[in-house]
Amino acid sequence: MARDLAPDWILQGALAEQDKSAQWFKQKLANMTTENSADRAKGLALTVIGCGTLGTAILGGIFEFLDAGKTVDKTDDDTPARLPTIFNACVRSDSSAARIRKELGNYKTPINVRQNDNVAATKEADVIILGCKPYATASILGNDDMRNALQGKLLISILAGVPETQISLILYPSGIPKEGACTIIRAMPNTAASIRESMTVLSTPTPAPPADQLTLTTWIFSRIGRVSTLAPNLMDAATALCGSGPAFTAVFIESLALGAIAMGIPKESAYEMAAQTVRGMSGLVLGGEHPALARDRVSSPGGCTVGGLVVLEEGGLRGTVSRAVREATVVASQLGEGGKNVNGTRR
Amino acid sequence: MARDLAPDWILQGALAEQDKSAQWFKHKLANMTTENSTDRAKGLTLTVIGCGTLGTAILGGIFEFLDAGKTDDKADKATPERLPTVFNACVRSNSSAARIRKELGNYRTPINVRQNDNVAATKGADVIILGCKPYATASILGNDDMRNALQGKLLISILAGVPETQISSILYPSGVPKEGACTIIRAMPNTAASIRESMTVLSTPSPPPPADDLKLTTWIFSRIGRVSTLPPNLMDAATALCGSGPAFTAVFIESLALGAIAMGIPKESAYGMAAQTVRGMSGLVLGGEHPAVARDRVSSPGGCTVGGLVVLEEGGLRGTVSRAVREATVVASQLGEGGKNVNGTRR
Repeated sequence: MARDLAPDWILQGALAEQDKSAQWFKQKLANMTTENSADRAKGLALTVIGCGTLGTAILGGIFEFLDAGKTVDKTDDDTPARLPTIFNACVRSDSSAARIRKELGNYKTPINVRQNDNVAATKEADVIILGCKPYATASILGNDDMRNALQGKLLISILAGVPETQISLILYPSGIPKEGACTIIRAMPNTAASIRESMTVLSTPTPAPPADQLTLTTWIFSRIGRVSTLAPNLMDAATALCGSGPAFTAVFIESLALGAIAMGIPKESAYEMAAQTVRGMSGLVLGGEHPALARDRVSSPGGCTVGGLVVLEEGGLRGTVSRAVREATVVASQLGEGGKNVNGTRR
Repeated sequence: MARDLAPDWILQGALAEQDKSAQWFKHKLANMTTENSTDRAKGLTLTVIGCGTLGTAILGGIFEFLDAGKTDDKADKATPERLPTVFNACVRSNSSAARIRKELGNYRTPINVRQNDNVAATKGADVIILGCKPYATASILGNDDMRNALQGKLLISILAGVPETQISSILYPSGVPKEGACTIIRAMPNTAASIRESMTVLSTPSPPPPADDLKLTTWIFSRIGRVSTLPPNLMDAATALCGSGPAFTAVFIESLALGAIAMGIPKESAYGMAAQTVRGMSGLVLGGEHPAVARDRVSSPGGCTVGGLVVLEEGGLRGTVSRAVREATVVASQLGEGGKNVNGTRR
């Protein structure tokens, strides 16, 4: 091998890899605590109250990021200056505690599981995610211990269908205090959070929360998918689109597969092919292409694609799908107002 | 710093990073030529004839894999024993040559751009991807030089709408020779190949090709998305589902967004939210959940999702979408038979 000279680009590559690992090591060392382990000035403490499926998925997404150990780009506007580094998951039962330890135990980032210890875990935290069952909200939040523990902190509610005004009422029945009130942001992820492909909508109160709290909330939910922020009056429409949209999409995928199966495609292939086809177009739109332009681009004149498209038009697909979103929006509103028989036939 | 001990997991991480780069270096060195530079026993040579958008996307996907340096994962049964390591892209014009150098120049894996040199590039190759314009097929393939150059090799056709029997007729007008015939596999990627999310369907001839040819072809197209293999008689249905399906999906995404925009969601948000919502459900189905089961799981009794679902049922969404796939299949067949006015109203 003495006569073989490794080309320069190989040596450069190897040196670059070693340099990368040296940098990572130094950054980790710089972020380590000194002798006083409470001197964790660098990171925040995050507590999840009622850590169910969704809470665990969120923590998992954060842990995956932290485990990767990438140098945090301080010039990146989307990354908060301080990230959570300490994590508490609050549950009641032993089985929940065991479930969390099992699902999150394989990450390098440690999780502290706390049972029936909401107040202490909240006191220690900078940001709190509320994921309990909606009926338990009043008992968990509506007491002075929690009010005091939450003073000046960021409370993110992932309770389905519960507006932040309702949380605010439970926490501050006599009205929001002028000083020290906690910031309440409502976050609505959807079912794909379990595979980190959620479309999460954040609803910000009025007055708008401090920018760094919104940045942090956005960052947290970006670990499990995409994030949009909307005004509270649009949350019913967001529920219809992002909360119910997955079900509508499931019907669409099933129907594509049905047509293919009718024409002879084997069932196991048909569902996978339909799902990947749908995934591909969603990716093109997410990459910035308007769906109408994408449709046009792939529709050769006189071809089979146009043949299928005119069937969709004659069948009123656009009207049906957009009506489904409009209907779901109204149903969500009526449910929010305590309506009865909201899906009935006499309205 | 003398008193600070870096925890074991940090040291392990740094050592793992350094080990990774040392392995990469050694692997690269092992694959380097000795003094005889034609002694490339390890890898195959792949030539793309007519390297357009799709050919470039395929090469990019392969290069991304090779650049990552993970080629020693023999535990992955889907990875062929021998991978392509030498690449030729054949074009005619200077502008095409410049385009390829620009799009593929940033990878570490080198690309040889060849102009008007199809026969020589085919002679030097083990596997050839045919991506020319369909009308040029006869002039490129139908001559003895190419016949001889292709002897015993694997020819993968990505020509849209051209069955492998047609390629075979051009190559072997007097019939497929008993010995030395090249293996022809037809591959049909779709528009999402550009973002490596294609649903590619392979069509295998009768008798079936050698197993390692099919494995290599599957591996190549797995670099740009998912792959399914079907018999030739199902290619029209596959064209309808995977070739036209993206357009149908674009209409669906646009319609979800339309409903949301009608209810007040800003346009810039609506398309992204609709696309991510669709992407999420496609991911759940790809993860193995039947779409009907997924739909059922997210439809709470009396909720807004069910409210939207009954609108889809009343509007006949399933019938319309499955009919679009069936229609597109028939149109594809008729086009294949040279039909006229295939999308007309009198049939």
